[in-house]
Amino acid sequence: MLLDAATLSRITGLKLRARAVVEGVLSGLHKSPNQGQSVEFAEHKEYAPGDEIRHLDWKAYGKFDKYYVKRYEHETNLRSVMVVDTSGSMGFGTTGLSKLDVGRIMAATLSHLLIRQQDAAGVALVAQGRFAEIPPRSSAGHLGAVMDALESAVPSGLTDLAMTADALAEKLPRRSLVCVFSDFFDDHQDALKRILALRSRKHDVALFHLVDKAELEFPYDDPTLFTSMEDGRHVEVNPREIRASYLEEFNRFLDATRDACRAADCDYERVRTDEPIDEVLLRFLGRRGGKL
Amino acid sequence: MTFGQPWFLLGMLAAFIPLLVHLFDRRRPREVPFAALDFVLRSQRRTASRLKLKRLLLYLLRTLVLLAIPIALARPSFATQDLAAARRGVAATAIVLDTSLALRWEGRTRLFEVAKDEARAALRNLAPEEPATVVICSRTPTSVAPVGFERARLVNAIEDATPGYEAVDLNRCLEVAARSLDDSPLPNRRLVLVSALTQSSLRLESSPPLGAGLKGEKVKPEFVVRDVAKGKELPNRALVDVHAEAAPQLGPRAWQFTFTVRNFSKEAARDVELLLEVDGEVVQKGFVDLAAEGTAQKTLSWKFAKGGVTTVTGRLEADALPEDDAHSVVLSVPRALTALVINGSPSPQKYKDEAFFTEAALAATGSPVRAVLRDADAAWREKLSDYDVVLLLNVEAPPAEAADRLAEFVNAGGGLFVSVGDRVDPDAWNQSMGGVLPRKLRVIKTAVEPGQGDADTRAARLTQVALNHPVMVPFTGRAREGLLSTRFYRYALFEGDAQGVETEVLGTMDDGAPVFLSARRGKGRVFVFCSTVDRDWSDLPIRTSFLPLMQRIAGWLTGTLDEREEIRAKVGESVTLKPDPNQSPAWARAGSGAEVALTALPQGDGVTGGPMPEPGPYLVVDAKGATLEKLGFAVSIDAGASNLSRHSLDALSDWLGEESVRTSGSGGPESSTPLWTWLITLAVIAFFFEGLLLRK
Repeated sequence: MLLDAATLSRITGLKLRARAVVEGVLSGLHKSPNQGQSVEFAEHKEYAPGDEIRHLDWKAYGKFDKYYVKRYEHETNLRSVMVVDTSGSMGFGTTGLSKLDVGRIMAATLSHLLIRQQDAAGVALVAQGRFAEIPPRSSAGHLGAVMDALESAVPSGLTDLAMTADALAEKLPRRSLVCVFSDFFDDHQDALKRILALRSRKHDVALFHLVDKAELEFPYDDPTLFTSMEDGRHVEVNPREIRASYLEEFNRFLDATRDACRAADCDYERVRTDEPIDEVLLRFLGRRGGKL
Repeated sequence: MTFGQPWFLLGMLAAFIPLLVHLFDRRRPREVPFAALDFVLRSQRRTASRLKLKRLLLYLLRTLVLLAIPIALARPSFATQDLAAARRGVAATAIVLDTSLALRWEGRTRLFEVAKDEARAALRNLAPEEPATVVICSRTPTSVAPVGFERARLVNAIEDATPGYEAVDLNRCLEVAARSLDDSPLPNRRLVLVSALTQSSLRLESSPPLGAGLKGEKVKPEFVVRDVAKGKELPNRALVDVHAEAAPQLGPRAWQFTFTVRNFSKEAARDVELLLEVDGEVVQKGFVDLAAEGTAQKTLSWKFAKGGVTTVTGRLEADALPEDDAHSVVLSVPRALTALVINGSPSPQKYKDEAFFTEAALAATGSPVRAVLRDADAAWREKLSDYDVVLLLNVEAPPAEAADRLAEFVNAGGGLFVSVGDRVDPDAWNQSMGGVLPRKLRVIKTAVEPGQGDADTRAARLTQVALNHPVMVPFTGRAREGLLSTRFYRYALFEGDAQGVETEVLGTMDDGAPVFLSARRGKGRVFVFCSTVDRDWSDLPIRTSFLPLMQRIAGWLTGTLDEREEIRAKVGESVTLKPDPNQSPAWARAGSGAEVALTALPQGDGVTGGPMPEPGPYLVVDAKGATLEKLGFAVSIDAGASNLSRHSLDALSDWLGEESVRTSGSGGPESSTPLWTWLITLAVIAFFFEGLLLRK
């Protein structure tokens, strides 16, 4: 059963919310996402006291008459980072869940799924001047740290996706899945380009564009004083007079974002905060062939 | 501009409401944190100028609605006479409605309809306390009801009015209207003239009429002129005359019609179509070119297939006033006549034969008469009823049996012509034909022996000719002189009139002896010539007048001469007809069915009736409803009425002095839709657009 935003909003605690969504997603996939693991030889090392005896390479001792220890690398299928925008605008929500709520539920759910299939999942909470990171790990105990970090996120400050992109490019050493949960309200003109530029570094980039129903429909009639959620700006307008123009501008922005993602070969998912999250994730996973 | 309910104008203060709302409506807007504020700001910047214009338009439309509604409720009008009334106080009012031919002029709307609207508007604009009357100005204005407050009666009088076919005397109507106001107890008088202001109906030479004040003093009323033509010219062309005459050169029963067309407009017209209609059927077509304010004539001819009474109409290509584009005449086309010519003195030598000249005259080209020649002995065996007329040329007195047949023939409607000569014995003729002849023969008188040297100078001559007789009508001018120069060497003298017998003498000698005598006997006619129709006793046969004279005598004897050609009646005039004794005309019936009673004139001078109400052919019927075909006639429109030249408004202002002159084109109450309706419509439209702007 898919969970709508209203139902989900009544569940307290991110862990419960994430688990509820995960179950929905798994029941929707009908297939275990567990891909298994493999152990791969990495190098030899001269034996030193304290090394595991069982890793001694007896064939090498026979050849060289010295003790060598085999070192192995435990290969995971995927490293992933859930980048959640925690700017002030993400705190906007008119359907029970704010955009940040939806973003972190989705991030938690995906993390849950990844760690469940023994992939590494990390999280980065970003805003202007903030980059709080939980590095990717695949251990089951790591999920708790991810959940805690997500749950502690508070919407404030300006959006700064350009800085986020630069930080990710620096911190991610090899191919990773980067999932960005944001409304992309960034004044920086190149912010989106720089996020999408991660794709050129072989990262798998997926953008989750979080949009509230009120932003899509602009359902205001009476003269209203609109205030900014990131800075002190405000404007008094008659919404009826500008509705057509607003909707035109906003839809153009949504389309431009989507087109930019497609052009950069990145996954793009527009997420309405009032639609069932598991449905969104199923749509996303379905587009990727049921795999992360 | 005046207002019927001025208190409603206070409602115009509501027009300030939008402004006050704009100035003082400072409701605290709801504060809403919004994530996509950048898009709101961008949209506001983008729509700012358009919104400003929209708000301005909204403000204007709302103000317009709030202004238009109270003004409409106040019932505004542009009636200047109301201003005058307000200035001079209430006034007794007489509305003069022009019904002249000009009001039939039809542009987009017939002027008379405009005139009625104007009259109704003038009535409507009167204050309730103003008494009024209406004068329908026809040719002869009828008596006018005294001024009163019965508006419905006046409206009915306007509704019942119809335009005429002639010019009217507006000066006279204004005088009548002014007098009708004399009994009013109000000190002020007002005359409202609703007219096309044509010069033919309104004369500015005489001064405007004055009314009598409360103490009998002369008072100049206030004048308000409503020009139904709205200051425009009324171009018109008219077929003002048709002259019909026989055209024997073109064959028997051929006639030619000369149409006179006048162009009263200031623009020339080319190739104006002119149709010739016979009994309603178009038989000929022609075109005329008309100079500006010029006159042109066009002649069309037509050969009638048979004789009888025929209505011929000339019809001009219709213009804005089609009523004067047609002109009718009623003709009596001579029917083919058969004449029995009885030659009393035949001769193998043509020129000495008694009937030679007469037969030649009757058989001339275009003559409707077919002559059958017989000598006296053979003639009496003929069946007289087969002939229309019998000509006895120097015949011995008919035997008793033949005389009886001749008398019977005449009484039954036949025509008898008698010329004398050496075979005529007065006593014998008197004995056998005395009852038929107009007068009895007395003796044969010889003025001079023919052939004598001085015969031409001593011969007797005609001195007087009755030109009013149908036979003699053509002999005017040089034709008359030619007839009067006829020499008579020998001629018959007649007895005086017998008692109770009416004889017409159509010509007399210098000694007073009758030359031509005519009389009616029963239904027939008798014509006697006192001399010979060959050259023995007179040189008349070789005169140019002989041929038409003989043809007309034959025509008159058979009753086919069109005596009614002379009836050239105009609309509004009376018509006098001269019926045969056995006819008793009672009504003249117009094409529209309108009937005019005909009354007998004293002393049997015919019947008269009128005025004729409309142009066109009229049928004459007797009391039993039978049509008297030969008495039919046509009535035409007077050319003066077709002249629609108008007085200028300046000239009218000068004539009326300082009084107001206004036209119906100024958007006043003459408009069929009142002003308040337009204001309400404007308000609704403004309201609609306001809603449209709000929806956007």
